[in-house]
Amino acid sequence: MDFFLELFQGFAVLARPDVLAYMVLGFLIGTFFGAVPGLTSVLAIALLLPITYSMDVVPALVMCAAIFMSGMYAGSITATTINIPGAPSSMMTAIEGHALMKRGEGANALGHAAVGSMVGGSLGALLLMALMPLAAKASLLIQTPGKFSLVLFALVVIVIVQRDALAKGLVATMLGVMIGTVGIDVMQPIPRFNFGTEMLVEGIDMMPIIIGTFAISEVLYQAHRNHGDIRFSSSASTAIRRRDFLPSFAQIRQIGLFTYLKSALLGYGIGILPGVGGSMAAFVAYADAKRRSRAPEEYGNGSREGIAAAEAANNSMCGGAFVPMLMFGIPGDPTTAIVLGVLVINGLQPGPRLLENQTELIAPMFASLFISALVLVPLTLFLLGPWFVRIVSIPKGLLYACIAVVALVGSYVATFSVFQMALALLFGILAFFLRRQNYPTVALLLGFILGPDLEQYLRRSLSLSDGNPTVFLTSLDSLFFLILAAVFIYFMAIRKSKKAGIERKAAVEREP
Amino acid sequence: MAMREMRWRNRLFVPVFLLVLTTIYVAAAFRISPQFSEGLVGPRFLPLVSALLMYGALLHIIRNELVSGEESEKGGFWRPAAIVVATAAYIALFKPLGYSVSTLAYVCVLFHIFRYHEGRPLRRLIYAIAVTAVFYGLFALVFGVRLPTLLDLI
Repeated sequence: MDFFLELFQGFAVLARPDVLAYMVLGFLIGTFFGAVPGLTSVLAIALLLPITYSMDVVPALVMCAAIFMSGMYAGSITATTINIPGAPSSMMTAIEGHALMKRGEGANALGHAAVGSMVGGSLGALLLMALMPLAAKASLLIQTPGKFSLVLFALVVIVIVQRDALAKGLVATMLGVMIGTVGIDVMQPIPRFNFGTEMLVEGIDMMPIIIGTFAISEVLYQAHRNHGDIRFSSSASTAIRRRDFLPSFAQIRQIGLFTYLKSALLGYGIGILPGVGGSMAAFVAYADAKRRSRAPEEYGNGSREGIAAAEAANNSMCGGAFVPMLMFGIPGDPTTAIVLGVLVINGLQPGPRLLENQTELIAPMFASLFISALVLVPLTLFLLGPWFVRIVSIPKGLLYACIAVVALVGSYVATFSVFQMALALLFGILAFFLRRQNYPTVALLLGFILGPDLEQYLRRSLSLSDGNPTVFLTSLDSLFFLILAAVFIYFMAIRKSKKAGIERKAAVEREP
Repeated sequence: MAMREMRWRNRLFVPVFLLVLTTIYVAAAFRISPQFSEGLVGPRFLPLVSALLMYGALLHIIRNELVSGEESEKGGFWRPAAIVVATAAYIALFKPLGYSVSTLAYVCVLFHIFRYHEGRPLRRLIYAIAVTAVFYGLFALVFGVRLPTLLDLI
């Protein structure tokens, strides 16, 4: 009950003019970064991370939540208008939204994306708030061996969601784990992998990795691709009236409440899985909606139902992704991985105690997630919609110069150390080469965050059980997560590869 | 033939580099001397397991790269290389030259690399000054961060 009272107080804190201003600013920043192809809300929060050193924790978290929600929604803007998804999670929206755009119904498609995002985002935030006390109680039941198996399960999921590039996913994750081992050992006071330099004794901060992986590598990657400036199609630049954005009630009824609710639930559930993210949520919900649609022939040709399902799922994912991050320090997606950095910088440790003792700090963040989805998504579309299509006209040179300066000066500001700037550049170069060869750099960050936990829980469990490894099988919570990991490996890797093998064989046999 | 070799070199650069990095890491792992024994699972255990998995995955990738006809993503390298050099210089000169001078020069170089306002040096300079001033305002004035200055002046 206390928790829910604190939640209401969180809404009251959000109503304070300064906190409200941070939320609106965060929402606008997220919308901008989400809408510009190549920029993501992850990058926006990564650039915000060093600034949070100079901010209070509540406005910083409120801003992060608003960026997260708006970034997820804003990807649909350029996905619809110019067929380039502003964020990877808007791939499905691009298919349907741009088809509507070509028919002159782009504004209507954006309206449906906003309604889907609004319903999904607010439901995800509500579920997060309602189920948080339960999640906290459940997390208290998990002992040290169970925590090890849970982190192991998270790492397994992070690798196997890289569907077609398992080996590359494993390399990126292990690289992150290896970087995480630099510095003082987790159990003994001895330095590891410092190569004789004092600067590495304390380990590598999360900041240069985040800045390097998401900001510097983005600047290098954009310079490498060397594409010309994005131009609008003539249909995109035609004047759009505000009332065009409002979807008709008949269209919403045709999509059906069930589609919105089921997609939101799917998105929330997928969000809880570590490292999976909005793209998977949107894809699964879209595929499910198409499978049971009464008009499957519309899919691919401008299905409003497809847009609603994908957008409801990817915005609902935002709520789900906070659950493992706040309870176990296991981020559900890259954005929450960086929000975890904001928490740690401000001395907050994820876990049930955070909910028990510091609800007043995180409740405004939940409120921000909810209000951003329920109020700001439709309001921004209505007020700023006609200018959305112009976002991509910002010159790349100016944009990337600004990103580089914020990223580098931000790394300096965090610790007043030029060494951090150099590390950010180094990780940026590494991430650039990894991205170029399709290694998932998000897996690197998640491996870096989860590696030390994995090692600590493993060694602590073994030291508590006199080195007996069967503790992981005799402890029920641990056994549960190990079985879950095995089930995931079977269904998402082994069975899939068997199926692909059979299909290949059948194709060879069919050939004359 | 030469083209094919170059394609291989391109694709194999990352896995081979990571293979070398992992070997250096493994050598350093063997130099860890624990203060007390924890049995098999001590300070070296996770690093060695990670390295083992890394070797397995990298060898699999290298084998696949050698048989696949896929090409790496196309794109020029001089621009990223120029940005890396400019950024390294910026980092080296950030403290000696101070925020204003080093950032102004860095932004000008980035504008040049991204061909922003090409052929209009004055406009480019004005935008560079504006970018430098805006972020000075954000960090120093809004967030009260003390940025390095040149001779305590700018």
